[in-house]
Amino acid sequence: MSNIIATVSKIQNCDNLHLVEFNFNNQSLSMVSLELNKKIKIGTQVKLVIKPSHITIAKNFTGDISYSNKLDSTIVSIENGKLLSSVKLDFFDTTLESIITHTASQKMNLQVGDKVIAFIKESELSISEIIDA
Amino acid sequence: MIKIDINKKLHGSNGEMGLNIDIDIKDNDFVALAGESGSGKTTLLRILAGLEEVKGTIKIGDKIWLNDKINLPPQKREIGFVFQDYALFPNMSVEENLLFVNKDKKMANHLLNITELTKLKKRLPNTLSGGQKQRVSLCRALMNKPKLLLMDEPLSALDPSMRTKLQNEILTLHKEFKTTTIMVSHDPSEIYRLSNRVLVLNQGKIINDGKPKDILLRTTGSQKFSFEGELLDIKKVDVIYIAIISIGQQLVEIVVTAEETKNLTIGDIVNVSTKAFNPTITYKKTN
Repeated sequence: MSNIIATVSKIQNCDNLHLVEFNFNNQSLSMVSLELNKKIKIGTQVKLVIKPSHITIAKNFTGDISYSNKLDSTIVSIENGKLLSSVKLDFFDTTLESIITHTASQKMNLQVGDKVIAFIKESELSISEIIDA
Repeated sequence: MIKIDINKKLHGSNGEMGLNIDIDIKDNDFVALAGESGSGKTTLLRILAGLEEVKGTIKIGDKIWLNDKINLPPQKREIGFVFQDYALFPNMSVEENLLFVNKDKKMANHLLNITELTKLKKRLPNTLSGGQKQRVSLCRALMNKPKLLLMDEPLSALDPSMRTKLQNEILTLHKEFKTTTIMVSHDPSEIYRLSNRVLVLNQGKIINDGKPKDILLRTTGSQKFSFEGELLDIKKVDVIYIAIISIGQQLVEIVVTAEETKNLTIGDIVNVSTKAFNPTITYKKTN
């Protein structure tokens, strides 16, 4: 599981549907969710969680994409299994893990030290803990 | 090896039904017997114990318990029986309950030691908690080193933490004595922890037979995280819809699109599922 400690910077809503933006090292992250805990306000520090199987990796990426979360990261380790690879990324001193297919890792020729973008859909980012309300 | 091949007419809740069982059970197996109430589980245990008249064959190793000519009475069948309601002798102490079955003091002490009952051995059953009583009946069932241990929902009257404790003791005892066991149970976690084979009974017939995980894992296609629930409501929010579904004792919300709502009607029993890759697990303190 990958965690990011971030601060809430903007909250928009439509009934009980919410779009929340976070600030992490001056990078903007966003999440959609249904009901939001009442303690969550602008300035609240939260722990965000992303399932490693939901993190997509792009290298030499150009063009437009609908992912709101595009995290400029660096590969710090790659563990290859028979079918899948576990790729650890450094994003401003926070480690994220991405599970991708071994085939994709080979096709992209992923190497430790590569600059990549980690894509996370806003529906796949969630708050696991309120740290400072 | 235990060979069971029996037929009996039963008067079930839905009228008459035939109990038709033809199975082999390997030595040392721990078999869970599951299925809806009235499916014949308890009757099958009682037949094995010799408490019900039945036609057929029951053979344990080379020994015949039942065929056309022979029908061994319960006391000659070398079985241990654990009931949900303990069935201890109220006027005898814990130790006396065990020694009544077999005057083997060493065995009694050993069993009481494993189940942490040594300190309570002079006590009468009505001074014990439910969990303690059930441990006594478990020990008593093993006093004769039975060839077959039969348990009819032994833990269903106990609270969850006591249930887990007794499950561990049942496992310890099964490892030590390797008694072939048949246990009626409705609890998936209990079946998964204790048994290596599950038989599912329906209307007197075995409709499913296999390893606990294969039988118990609810799947919908390739989705391994699957629950059945009742669709309570669908609400439109922005361009999406939220389905409110009751699963077990909880309500959950699922985001669906307009297209997906077309096949849904409030009150429907639905399957809610996702792939095993999606859910996150969070540690929850129990106390």
